[in-house]
Amino acid sequence: MNQSVLETTNISATRGFGTATRQILTPISLSLNAGESLAIVGPSGAGKSTLAEIILGLGTPATGEVKVLGQTWSTPIRNATKAQRVKVQGVPQDAVAAFVPRWTIRKSLEVALAHLAPELDVERQIHQSIALASFDPTLLNRLPRELSGGQGQRAALARALVVRPALLVADEPTSALDPTTAAQVADQLFVTAKKTGVALLLVTHDSQLAARCTRTITITAH
Amino acid sequence: MQRFRFSLPTTLSYVLSSIALLLLAGALPWLSRTDPAAAILRSRYAELEPTPQALAAVRQQLGLDQGPIFASLHWWNGVLHGDLGSSWVSGTPVGPGVGRALLVSLTLTVFAGLVALLVTGCLITPAIRAILRNKPQPGSGAIGVALTALPEFLLASFLLIVVSVQLKWLPPFGWTGIETAILPALALGIPAGGMLGRLLADAIASASTERWVMIWRLAGARGSVLVLGVLRRAATSIIDQFGLVFIGLLGGAVAVEQIFAVPGLGRYLLGAANAQDIPALQAGLLLMAATALVIGLLTSVARHWLRSGSLPAGALPAPLPRRSHSVIRRWTIALSLGGLLLILLSGLPRDPFSVAHQRLAPPSFALPFGADASGRDLLARVAHGTMGTVAQAVLIVMLAMVLGLLLASVGGFARGPAAIANATPPILAGVVISALLGPSVIGAGIAVLWVTWPALTTHAASLLEEARAMPHIRWLPLAGIPRTQIFLRHLLPAVVPALLRHSMLRLPGVALALAALGFLGLGAQPPTPEWGLLLAEGINYVQRAPFTVIAPASALILTSVCAVAVASVGTTRAPKSAARVHPSPTDSPIVSTGSQPHPVHSDPSSQ
Repeated sequence: MNQSVLETTNISATRGFGTATRQILTPISLSLNAGESLAIVGPSGAGKSTLAEIILGLGTPATGEVKVLGQTWSTPIRNATKAQRVKVQGVPQDAVAAFVPRWTIRKSLEVALAHLAPELDVERQIHQSIALASFDPTLLNRLPRELSGGQGQRAALARALVVRPALLVADEPTSALDPTTAAQVADQLFVTAKKTGVALLLVTHDSQLAARCTRTITITAH
Repeated sequence: MQRFRFSLPTTLSYVLSSIALLLLAGALPWLSRTDPAAAILRSRYAELEPTPQALAAVRQQLGLDQGPIFASLHWWNGVLHGDLGSSWVSGTPVGPGVGRALLVSLTLTVFAGLVALLVTGCLITPAIRAILRNKPQPGSGAIGVALTALPEFLLASFLLIVVSVQLKWLPPFGWTGIETAILPALALGIPAGGMLGRLLADAIASASTERWVMIWRLAGARGSVLVLGVLRRAATSIIDQFGLVFIGLLGGAVAVEQIFAVPGLGRYLLGAANAQDIPALQAGLLLMAATALVIGLLTSVARHWLRSGSLPAGALPAPLPRRSHSVIRRWTIALSLGGLLLILLSGLPRDPFSVAHQRLAPPSFALPFGADASGRDLLARVAHGTMGTVAQAVLIVMLAMVLGLLLASVGGFARGPAAIANATPPILAGVVISALLGPSVIGAGIAVLWVTWPALTTHAASLLEEARAMPHIRWLPLAGIPRTQIFLRHLLPAVVPALLRHSMLRLPGVALALAALGFLGLGAQPPTPEWGLLLAEGINYVQRAPFTVIAPASALILTSVCAVAVASVGTTRAPKSAARVHPSPTDSPIVSTGSQPHPVHSDPSSQ
């Protein structure tokens, strides 16, 4: 279980151009092994979400390199390839808004499978992932807006797990939920990570949640 | 230092498009569809046969044989040495003629400016009185809307008919004394003043609801101090639009000078375009561009002076678009569209071309709009003109939308051309294009398209930015969906409906611009039934048969009214997309507007 899943070397992010360039993430190096969970904490504006986006492959770093499973994932001039994307999946802050509104949950899961892991058996994967995420199977044919916050977050977890990633990035997964639901979703996240052996990168400003991870990295505003 | 924040593509785009514009201006002879060599040979050496050798010699003399860039540099070299070139028609230097025209235009502009100032003053008086009396205010009223409704060419025709022809108070045309300047100045100044007054009145109304006004009032500031403060605040937020209105005057001047036969720069340009005399056109355009540049510089000096207070640059929110009476607006749109539809339905089955009636037959039950000078049914001609104009306007708007979407996806690179195109008055674009291609419906279409795409591109860019920021679209790459698919299946469907609505709102304005070009002879050619052309044909017979003007004018007025009513729909809906770009400035005034009335009502006791 000591395989390195994620390794970043001095990645940073900037916004703007020329004299107006602002650094929104100070260079950071971190590594994460299979089965581990790492919490990224820090004040608002420190670049936590930007870091999560870079690791998810939604943006490229301004400097440095990200490696996933030993292979180059993204650099300032190259982003993750389609074949690689199956390895890293994420759970957003507001899952309901992050699903395509006109697609049912089942359709979202099927689309991801079709694009990222066409070799896997669709029905089996969907069944397995919703079981892992404790998502109610009767809600599969609902539209995202018909789900509650907690159900939405579970749907997002199922959507992420359906392609069997090696790394799960969760960006403030519980901050939009009420305390009871937040606790349930957080429990679910850790239980699932343990069951599947997926590495978990958790971006949060909740110190209690961070304390449940195996390690914590604090990033500061620049 | 907000203002100096440019991105690389945007800066590059501005620089490159400015260079391209300068090169293009110089290369106009090379772009012309008529062979300049033949034209010059005819004008200068009438006795020479246009043999290939002679033509080649002229081409070489003009530097045209070495391609557009060399031809352009050749021309600029001449300009920098004070040589504006020689007319292709008369063979004489164009410098003196265009100089005289500029002087006439400047004089006319001063008069028009006075009129505009007067109109603006009248329009903002209610808003200023409202500040002094401390009453909530409605913004610009119906009068402002009415004054901006008529495009210059229509207002000029109207003044010519009523004041000169019917009342015989003032001479109808010429440039012989102060009495000949009054009507052109009114025709130019009233719409410009109406526009400025409307903008300023809205800005004043919005500024006077800001919190600092209340604080000043509570501190016991005198009325004059308050008014000056609010005026300065309002001027700051609309100073950029001031510049654009004045540059728009340059385009309006072409039509007005043509109608009143004022020998100014606009008429000079139009003459050059009709004769396809490119050097004269270049010289006229150069002077117009220089004027526009001076206006632009003055605007930025004024902006700098206005904003050089304690406020950091860029910290001021844009004025809030005011909600006008939506019921009245809807009725206005419905009635004007209904009127157009009535003309269309009753006239379409009739024949617009056959000479079946008595010449200039007056309106009757069988001929509701009468007959024109050739004895053709005017109702049929107006209706078929509506069909043609509207169809062309729809086509232009759709093209502009597609172009806007394409350019918006390219990003900042489209900004420079957009800024230039946005500041081009449609008539000037029409003049240039018709000089190059000859007057035609397609040329007029291209000219109007050129001034229509920037607004749609800007809107498309902000809509795309908004759509890209939506969580479900941001997260799509995670599911492995390719970029093209994200663009086609997710971004476009999110953007197109709003853009389509915006395009539809632009239709009346586009139709009017087409009519203006047709009126000046830069668009459709006879015997095509086209609104502007019909009006131009009718004006010649206005004394004997005023109805020949009334028929096309009624269609144009209905469209103008519809355009203005629809434009105010546009401004009230725009913030939805604008809010994305500047979230904080648009939020705060809304809050202060809402909380304003209570403290204001309690304040008289403290005075």
